[in-house]
Amino acid sequence: MADLDITTLDTWMLREPTSRRGYCVLRLKTKSGLAGFGECGEVSVAEIEAAKRVVTGRAATSYEAVRIQLSGAPRAQAGINMATLDLVGKFTKAPVYHVLGGPTRHRVRALASLDGAADEDLVASLKARHSAGFRAFAVPLPPVSARNQGQAFAEAVSRRFDKLRAVAGDADFVLSGAISLTPGDAGRLAAAIERLHLQWFDEPCPLSNLSAVRKITDESATPLGFGRHIEQSGEVQDALREEVVDILRPDLARHGISQIRRMAALAETYYVAVAPHHEGGPIGTVAALHLAASLPNFFMQHIPIPSAEADRRMRAELTGGSVETVKDGFVALPTGPGLGIAVDEKALDKYKERA
Amino acid sequence: MRRREFLAASGIGLWPVRPAAFAAQSSPAPDAFRAVGSRVRVTGMKVFGVSLTPDSDRPYVFVKLETNQGVVGWGEATLEGKAGAALACLEDFREFIIGADPMQVEHHWQSMYVHSFYRAGPVMGSAISGIDQAMWDIRGKVLGLPVYQLLGGPFDPRGVRGYYHADSEDRDELLRLRQTALREGISCFKSGLPEYYEWIGTRAKIERAVRHIQGLREGLGPDIDIAVDFHAKTSPSVATIICKEVEPVNLLFIEEPCPPENVKAMARIARRTTVPIATGERLIAPYGCRELIEMGAIDILQTDINHVGGITALWKVAAMADASGISMAPHACEGPIGGMATLHVDAAMPNFLVQEICSGVQPGMKEKVWEEWFGFPAMRMVDGRFPLPEKPGLGFELSEASLKKFPFGGTRPMARVFHEDGSVAEW
Repeated sequence: MADLDITTLDTWMLREPTSRRGYCVLRLKTKSGLAGFGECGEVSVAEIEAAKRVVTGRAATSYEAVRIQLSGAPRAQAGINMATLDLVGKFTKAPVYHVLGGPTRHRVRALASLDGAADEDLVASLKARHSAGFRAFAVPLPPVSARNQGQAFAEAVSRRFDKLRAVAGDADFVLSGAISLTPGDAGRLAAAIERLHLQWFDEPCPLSNLSAVRKITDESATPLGFGRHIEQSGEVQDALREEVVDILRPDLARHGISQIRRMAALAETYYVAVAPHHEGGPIGTVAALHLAASLPNFFMQHIPIPSAEADRRMRAELTGGSVETVKDGFVALPTGPGLGIAVDEKALDKYKERA
Repeated sequence: MRRREFLAASGIGLWPVRPAAFAAQSSPAPDAFRAVGSRVRVTGMKVFGVSLTPDSDRPYVFVKLETNQGVVGWGEATLEGKAGAALACLEDFREFIIGADPMQVEHHWQSMYVHSFYRAGPVMGSAISGIDQAMWDIRGKVLGLPVYQLLGGPFDPRGVRGYYHADSEDRDELLRLRQTALREGISCFKSGLPEYYEWIGTRAKIERAVRHIQGLREGLGPDIDIAVDFHAKTSPSVATIICKEVEPVNLLFIEEPCPPENVKAMARIARRTTVPIATGERLIAPYGCRELIEMGAIDILQTDINHVGGITALWKVAAMADASGISMAPHACEGPIGGMATLHVDAAMPNFLVQEICSGVQPGMKEKVWEEWFGFPAMRMVDGRFPLPEKPGLGFELSEASLKKFPFGGTRPMARVFHEDGSVAEW
């Protein structure tokens, strides 16, 4: 399979003009001239050099064997994994989700974050995102001013959702905890908001001491989302075994497609769904769609659409037209070979901050 | 408005909506996947019962899927002692499979498993395994790659490390086996225990078991890995005593030190000895392996690609095991299709240890038939490894005509053995 031997790895460190969100686009080229693209978080030049030493000369089809050897380049690993799968898909003239045994679904449920801190700002953001096609929204907690929050805090949370539901009766909500509560506070709040029937309470506290976290699930029926800081599958297994997670949220930029598929296999046997965490760019979004269509236990994908028009334009330019369009709460699957997008290298150069 | 959009808009555009209390949608599902699927469709399914000898207890159960593109796929659903049930269960899945897009193998796996309502035991697990393997064979052929490359392998381009069985107790024979192994690059053998054991062991039997294992090491030497299959003939009490005695022999693993139903009992044996414990050949689906993996007690998992749920399930089980640092040594003691399918998954596992095949160093009648069928010595090692197929799919061609020489001899039970007092023994 010498055709698929990787000859070069090039990178573009990009930054959105307004949000200042940064991500790295990686391109692998093969001896036969195919180009495969992937995306990861911000990554050092030294790490990219380490990754080049691993991937050069390797067949894109041995993407799992390559992945394992990238322990010295843990950030780049995610992007290289996407790029190798893009190459396999392009070589086989099939979408990546066909290569991986899908599609398991024909469209992908989408989640948007609401912008703002005050209720009025969130309501305005909800209206905008709702008319953009989203039907599920991640909502921040009201400001957490002290430990051991009392009734006023629980009421502020409830009030926030009352206001949001008043403008979008068909909306579903995720409460983003942003790791800002103690397990005890999170447990009390989770119980207090049980009957709001949120989709889940996301990362209310650190996922470190699992018996402490277990207080939350012991005290309430509110589903909990955890996982964005998880590095290893073993940590996923611990969280599942301790019954502290209802929806698994591994970080796309950290793990790529393959590693999340392996974590999802663990979660499946606990009847736990997967909603990958994604705060990166549009190539990552496309990779997430292929991942979603390969998993039986996928639930929802966060689509990190920026609020500034300039940022949205940049994302659309990178992928030769926006791939992040949402209709009735769902994103369509790409259908072309590989990741199914035509990455615009001129746009990559235009927005490049560094290599 | 196209039909798909209408169905989506009306909220019934999902795969068959037919819970009893709701309006049943009795026709086949609307083709919701038309825009995102492939053009390949399964148009036919043929099942074959193949008895190498008329009294075989494990007639091969093969399944062949035909497609509208002319590509065919083969899979194996052999279930020892229950061939008739496996053949019948494959027929039960016919409706699931005809018209299916084999690219969506994960989707069909889920449908066969979930929509069967009663969760899979060995019969259903074997039928799903056969269909899953055949779909992967088609997928590889359509996409133009061997299955192990679709899975991201190989980890080791030299092939898949394997072991043969060595059932001798004779010292000279073991010494000859050692010479052959060193000459041919074979790095590992597996043997069994010499007798049947009650749940409390007599001293003489336990000592003979220990001596057998020590004799294997003395005959095969220090540089050949040795595994011993207890085959669930022992209870936790008996197994633990034997394990403690043979710790100094440094076995690669001992296998199934007790029957598979009670995971805590298995874990207890593992906790009481340093001998690596392998088990899992009788487990079905990733769900069936969860508790064993979660307990973190065992060292090696041995799920069988013909029972666990095919390539899809074996891959998932390996990923689950990897999270616990458990190695994979898949079981294979049926026909050659499952044997070759398992090599593909092995080659894409980061936590692969060694692959079984129930053959000896010298090929017998079975191995000769396999070579006739495939035109190459299927499941025979070269330099201690099974070579990786290079052709797309599972990597072989098989003609229906070649199977006709071995007609189905009917279902035959596996061995039925009894203790001295007439009570039922595990073998």
